Amino acid sequence: MPSEAAPILPPPILPPPILSVRDLSVGFRGVPAVRDVSFDIAPGEIVGLTGDSGSGKSTLGLALLGLVRQPGRILGGSVMIEGVDLLRLPEAARRARRGSQIGLIVQNPRGSLSPLHTVGGQIRSVLRAHLKLSSVQAAARAVGLLRQLGLNDPERRAGSYPHEISGGMAQRVLIAMATGAGPRLLVADEPTSGLDVTIQAQFLDELARTSRAAGSAVLLMTQDLGIIANYCDRVLVMQDGRIVASDRTAAFFADPKDSYSRTLLSLAYAPPPVPPVAPAELLAVRGLSKHFRLRGSGKTLQAVDRVDLTIGRGETLGLVGESGSGKTTVGRCVLRLLDADAGEVVFEGKDLLRAMPRDLRVMRRRIQIVFQDPLDALDPRWTVSRILGEALLRPDPRRIAELLTLVGLDPAVARLRPRGLSAGAQQRVGIARAIAAEPALIVLDEPTSALTPMARVGIVALLRELQARLGMSYLFISHDLNTVEQLSHRVAVMYLGQIVELGTREQVFNAPRHPYAKALLAAHLAPDPSHRRVDGVQAAVLAGEIPSPIDLPPGCYLAGRCPVAIESCHTTQQPLYAFADGGQVRCTPAAVRAGVIQRQADPPGRVLSNTVAA
Amino acid sequence: MSDSAQIETALLDLDLQAHTARPVTDLLFRLGGAIVLASLVLMLVGPWITPFDVGRPSDDIMVPPPDLADLPHLLGQVFTGAPHDPIHWFGTDGAGLDVFSRVLAAPRADVAIAVGANLFSLITGSLIGLLAGTARTWLGALVMRISDLVQSFPVFITGMILVTLAGRSNATIVVTLALLYTPIYVRLTRSEVLTQRNRGFIDAARVLGKSEAFIALRHVLPNALAPAMIQASVTIGFAILMTAGLSFVGAGVRPPTPEWGLMIAAGADGIVQGEWWPSVFPGIAISITVFGYAAFGNGLERRHAK
Repeated sequence: MPSEAAPILPPPILPPPILSVRDLSVGFRGVPAVRDVSFDIAPGEIVGLTGDSGSGKSTLGLALLGLVRQPGRILGGSVMIEGVDLLRLPEAARRARRGSQIGLIVQNPRGSLSPLHTVGGQIRSVLRAHLKLSSVQAAARAVGLLRQLGLNDPERRAGSYPHEISGGMAQRVLIAMATGAGPRLLVADEPTSGLDVTIQAQFLDELARTSRAAGSAVLLMTQDLGIIANYCDRVLVMQDGRIVASDRTAAFFADPKDSYSRTLLSLAYAPPPVPPVAPAELLAVRGLSKHFRLRGSGKTLQAVDRVDLTIGRGETLGLVGESGSGKTTVGRCVLRLLDADAGEVVFEGKDLLRAMPRDLRVMRRRIQIVFQDPLDALDPRWTVSRILGEALLRPDPRRIAELLTLVGLDPAVARLRPRGLSAGAQQRVGIARAIAAEPALIVLDEPTSALTPMARVGIVALLRELQARLGMSYLFISHDLNTVEQLSHRVAVMYLGQIVELGTREQVFNAPRHPYAKALLAAHLAPDPSHRRVDGVQAAVLAGEIPSPIDLPPGCYLAGRCPVAIESCHTTQQPLYAFADGGQVRCTPAAVRAGVIQRQADPPGRVLSNTVAA
Repeated sequence: MSDSAQIETALLDLDLQAHTARPVTDLLFRLGGAIVLASLVLMLVGPWITPFDVGRPSDDIMVPPPDLADLPHLLGQVFTGAPHDPIHWFGTDGAGLDVFSRVLAAPRADVAIAVGANLFSLITGSLIGLLAGTARTWLGALVMRISDLVQSFPVFITGMILVTLAGRSNATIVVTLALLYTPIYVRLTRSEVLTQRNRGFIDAARVLGKSEAFIALRHVLPNALAPAMIQASVTIGFAILMTAGLSFVGAGVRPPTPEWGLMIAAGADGIVQGEWWPSVFPGIAISITVFGYAAFGNGLERRHAK
């Protein structure tokens, strides 16, 4: 091990570092993408690498394996893995080390698995490529790896094809493949982007446990500062191909040295929005239900099940839940982009669901929507000015310029087409179009989840500013609990089409009462290293997988996974109990504990009414 | 295969795409574009720029094309402007007509019919496709079954019968081909409409209170047209082949119009006696043209996919 002093890092602790990178540079046709990067990772250490899109993180990650995307070239430097410089080795020796010494976990778990082979077979082939094993031994080891990673029934899972397993399981198969041959260094490139929060937490817990147990080094590339705060021991920040900050996690979050991290954290530390005092009711949704009939089988999928909610003027209601919880369907039903099966949507005193088409077209302008995919939401053939003009009753260049200024864009972009704008700017155009119709309510359907963290900060700040200035209400639909916390006054948690808990932001975030809300918030990774998930005892992890919304259990949908379930939970639908502090929780054990209801001697019959007043 | 090996393969694929595929397709695209352009120019001015009259028979019957060895000499004469006898570059046919002139004049018939038929079916087909994609499910299904029905007939034989029944004129050929090609555009437009209909900007327009008709014509149709336009280039090529084929079997353009299929048919008997030129040159012209339209369409598709 060369003992030259690391330029930016504190000297490594007792054991020599597993990975030691010195002055690594990668260029694409003379344009440098990674410039003079140096760092070390010690055994058992998890180092986070963050930075905006295009800062060179992924290029650096590939270069650590001695790989470069064409037409790139490694321009210089060294990548020492346990004392051997990978870049000085011949290609055959490098290939032997990939997989056995360095494991790689990439984004998009399902896309990284071959659809034509069983997952067990794919793990086996990795094992046999690097270890001297017979195929029987390899098969046994593959099953063992899956069992270690917490998959139930690993023998059967090993025989499944990638399309037969869930995204969370696919991600665990990838860990098994990456760690199977016992590599000393794991490079994980945005391993959890696109996963639900509870699965993300499970995955990262397993990754941290595996690497700590094996004493291997992990380089975790992510844009999510929540992941860094909760799992990483040290942080590296990249900007324009350079490492601009490198610090221990606690010190980093206490005082970020670089502008990128400071901007990202500014919003997390900004005071939450102040709710309006006693707002007049703007929207009341009562008993909203929507099911989809599935083709072929004739079964129905219950997407939304008797949802009740209200939004006051100037108020933001955050609607959170994992994928498939029905939150987007609620938004689309409120806009009547989907026709609900039952219930009513009273907006400004009129029932939208029963409005005549002519009235509806007028009423609709009062409720607007901002979509998840900003590019998809804008007609690619139209200029920004024409797109905004469509939203105005009378297209007026002055008003269009005013709208663009309002959302923080240069009025000159009016001449451009959507493709010529960045994703953040596209989303700003989408917001400008929504406010052009002068709505009283905007449904924000995951408006920030397709954006980079940097663009996300800008959009969240913009939405808060617009609400303060124009006074409209938001129905903010998101699975990203951080942005929900930054925007919402009240929060509703959905699980399998039902609202399981509804309360103020403080009630839900600080003291959730429904077991599902507890689990969801426990899996929430706040960008705050004071209660690190990796160091603490992981509380309230729900067992098993979400039941299929096609075959729902007869009682509480959570009963099968719930730590506090009692006998009657398995047989009886749970009503939404109104608590004394104004919160609503769909859980009998929680209501009993809070004294909202008396413990019943005999289990109550099927509850028909959806809400029971306290 | 280990995952690192998979990554390497993926990187290699990228590499291949970047370095080999693109230049070749780009070359083909440009070549195809040039051929398409040339055929359209000839369609407009072909009969006016021929060196010989395409309709008046002469006494120079079955003159073979000049020998390859003489070509430099003859070309020299042409370029220096030296006085010389008129040259039959592709020879003459049994009626003493100049084959080169007739090959140049033929696009007036072949290309015009193919382009006309395709414009016609592109317009009707995409409108019907828009209807099928936006209307109620049963109506859409009905339209699609009808177009299945039309497509289930063998194109060439149906075309032959229809043209013969309706009378051999250029107009009937155009209408027949248009009818046979419309289902292609219906199908393409409908499937694209079904995709576009679910895009965010459609919902955004709906939420702004726009009418369904406005949305269909202003947002859905313009965005759904690209595949049909690309298909048009390929289909025009096939329509040229079909027009020539119909006249070859005597169910198309009437003689003595200069037309590639008719020329091949007229010269076919001579081939066994070594008089190959009246048929082979128009055959080559068809091949080049059909190839050009196909290459151009293919290139357009790749560019669109990017």
